[in-house]
Amino acid sequence: MKPILAGKSILIVEDYPAMRKAIRNMLYTLDADLITEADNGENALLAMSKTSFDVVLCDYNLGAGKNGQQVLEEARLQKLIGYHCVFIIIAAEQSASMVLGAMDSKPDEYLAKPFNAQQLFARLERNLSRKTLLNSIEKEVERGNLSQAIQQCDKLLAGNHKKVRTHLLKMRAELATLVGDFDTGRGIYAEILQERDLPWARLGLGIIDFQVGDLAGAASHFEDLLRAHPLFLEGYDWLSKVYEAEDKLQEVQEVVNQAVDLSPQSILRQKKLAETADKIGNVAVAEKAYKAAVTLGKHSIYRSCSDFTNLAKLYTKTHSGDEALKTLAHMRKEFHNDPEAELRATTLEAELHQNGGDTEKAGLCLQKALLLHQQLGANTPKDLQLDIARGCFLQNQAGQAETILDGLIKTHIDDEQFLDDVRRMQSSVGLENHSEDLIQNTKRALVATNNKGVALYKQGKFKEAMALFETAIASMPDNKTIIINMLKIILHDLKASGIEEEKLLRAQALFKKARQIHIDRHKLGILQMEFSNLLRQYHEGARV
Amino acid sequence: MNAGLKEDALFPVILGATVHDIKNSLGTLLGLIQQMSLKQSAGQVDEVRQLEFEANRINHSLMQLLVMYKIDSRKFSLMEDEYAALDLINEAKAQQDRLSRLQNIEVRSECRDDLLCYCDYQQISNALGTVLNNAQRYTKNAVLISASEADGYLRFCIEDDGLGYPPHLLEADLTNPADVDWVSGNTGLGLYFVAAIAGFHKNRDKTGYVEIDNHSRLGGARFSLYLP
Repeated sequence: MKPILAGKSILIVEDYPAMRKAIRNMLYTLDADLITEADNGENALLAMSKTSFDVVLCDYNLGAGKNGQQVLEEARLQKLIGYHCVFIIIAAEQSASMVLGAMDSKPDEYLAKPFNAQQLFARLERNLSRKTLLNSIEKEVERGNLSQAIQQCDKLLAGNHKKVRTHLLKMRAELATLVGDFDTGRGIYAEILQERDLPWARLGLGIIDFQVGDLAGAASHFEDLLRAHPLFLEGYDWLSKVYEAEDKLQEVQEVVNQAVDLSPQSILRQKKLAETADKIGNVAVAEKAYKAAVTLGKHSIYRSCSDFTNLAKLYTKTHSGDEALKTLAHMRKEFHNDPEAELRATTLEAELHQNGGDTEKAGLCLQKALLLHQQLGANTPKDLQLDIARGCFLQNQAGQAETILDGLIKTHIDDEQFLDDVRRMQSSVGLENHSEDLIQNTKRALVATNNKGVALYKQGKFKEAMALFETAIASMPDNKTIIINMLKIILHDLKASGIEEEKLLRAQALFKKARQIHIDRHKLGILQMEFSNLLRQYHEGARV
Repeated sequence: MNAGLKEDALFPVILGATVHDIKNSLGTLLGLIQQMSLKQSAGQVDEVRQLEFEANRINHSLMQLLVMYKIDSRKFSLMEDEYAALDLINEAKAQQDRLSRLQNIEVRSECRDDLLCYCDYQQISNALGTVLNNAQRYTKNAVLISASEADGYLRFCIEDDGLGYPPHLLEADLTNPADVDWVSGNTGLGLYFVAAIAGFHKNRDKTGYVEIDNHSRLGGARFSLYLP
């Protein structure tokens, strides 16, 4: 066997000492010399924070703490492993990938137990050589340099790499979709489908339809896909997005429920199911899913105190006050000294006391909540701010409520789903259409600002347009439309009046901001493509 | 968490947990055997190899049992992707490596390295391993495992120089449980399993299947697996 592991840093994560030793001995026969070992998930993550490993072999079952899937999710989210790292989950079951049903963090490979050195060698060799080949693409993708990534991909496709050709085509189509080059994406997927009914190609066609707003077309692709491949979980995730965009919450719940049945370990799907069922008032489904999310969250990076309070809120609605208090007590134990958790608990307690007729305690809780919110400031999540505002209305502190709502509406004016949440909250406290004037005025003001900015920009007054948006962004810091407009202007300015270091930095900062406030990847992709073209020209010294 | 399970739902949970446990033990057992094989004296080599071979066999049977159970309860599905046919051959060979050395049998392979195959890697390499295991037990000196393109299918062949398949097996419909000789040994069971796995592989109007005959280039039995 070739010494493929010489000089590679390898991490073995396995709780069972005898198994650890067996794997280590296998690796030695493959010439591995840099082996680190961890006996649980926490120690594995600690090791990964110190060393950038080339290979991680991680058992799924790690005893009491995190499991292998949770280790992978956390490592990816915290960027503890790079794109060059081969992550293999060792599982006792062959069909592990389905049972685990990871929603967005998949390992490079699942390896079923037991295995011998030759089998391990074959897997490692396959993955390492693939990573080496795709390195040039992944590197650019990670840097957000999509046009370079596409160039690299085309270069490899032109070469003779038969073994990874299908994989390259898949990457190429995904990149095309990301930068809005939908024709190229569609072309590749259609070509693939002529050969074989591959589920990811069908999914890709659906995603493109979704991006161009053809929801009916997207739904029919995803439905066809699930008919032919009922275990292809991403199909359910995307179909639920279509229904969500169409505001068909009943259908969203049905589809996510099917996916949860197939992959009960997926915490993100459980959360989605819980929140959807909660919205449409399906208490039984919501309760079960919130409970699952709470249990699965114990060792997960996706653990969140809002799952606890949402469950407690559900109990409040069904008049099970005791259950609600028990859930809050459980949360305080799990989230000791966490300000957000404390704020969530206090806000809900105010309502519980109010319902129980103890207005004095309710008042104290609300006061405490407002104080905590003040300390957290902009870090208070929007759904929680909405809860606090609701509490204020319920205790006749309309002034406080209006202040919070005013900020929320201005910041999230282009988030229709959240505005619906605002409307729902107001109806729940008997204030139907209460903020409609504010919402419509804010929208009009935003449109006016945008129109004015775009007009200035069309007259070539880039500076004035930017200044206008800078002022607007000060009062609506997370407004997606304004950020996108600013990006468009700065890119145009770079093209029209030449490239300056300072403007490039400004653009980079705006892209960072855009990612932070979760502007749609596909909306951003087109602009990123333009930007990486400009950067290339700049670095090649060819100033426009 | 499982308190609310009804009896019919409980069995799969028990089965899953038991298989998990046995597999962990088997993994440890195989690891220990491998370490032993590095240290032992020359006289013990065969015994240790035999030990490893038996542990591997238990693992294979367990895996077949689990797959058949899933097929029966309609919970089985493939995880297909594109792989090099040579990788699958090597994986099957690696699984059976100990037996080959134990019996001093030469396992040759014939496959272009750019030949690609769309399948469930784990299931197909296990299926090939199962047939390879049988071939090794019935052959005299050599086994040939190969892959090639055949009329829109990818064809894996395993050929030996033994006495060939007995007539009753050649006449049997391998996909029909009533035709399979369940009692006398592993061959019929193994073939039934492989035929079942092959049948799950589909592309457009084509479905995977297996064929057995005695037209081996080495003069014994020949097994063919066709994947669309």
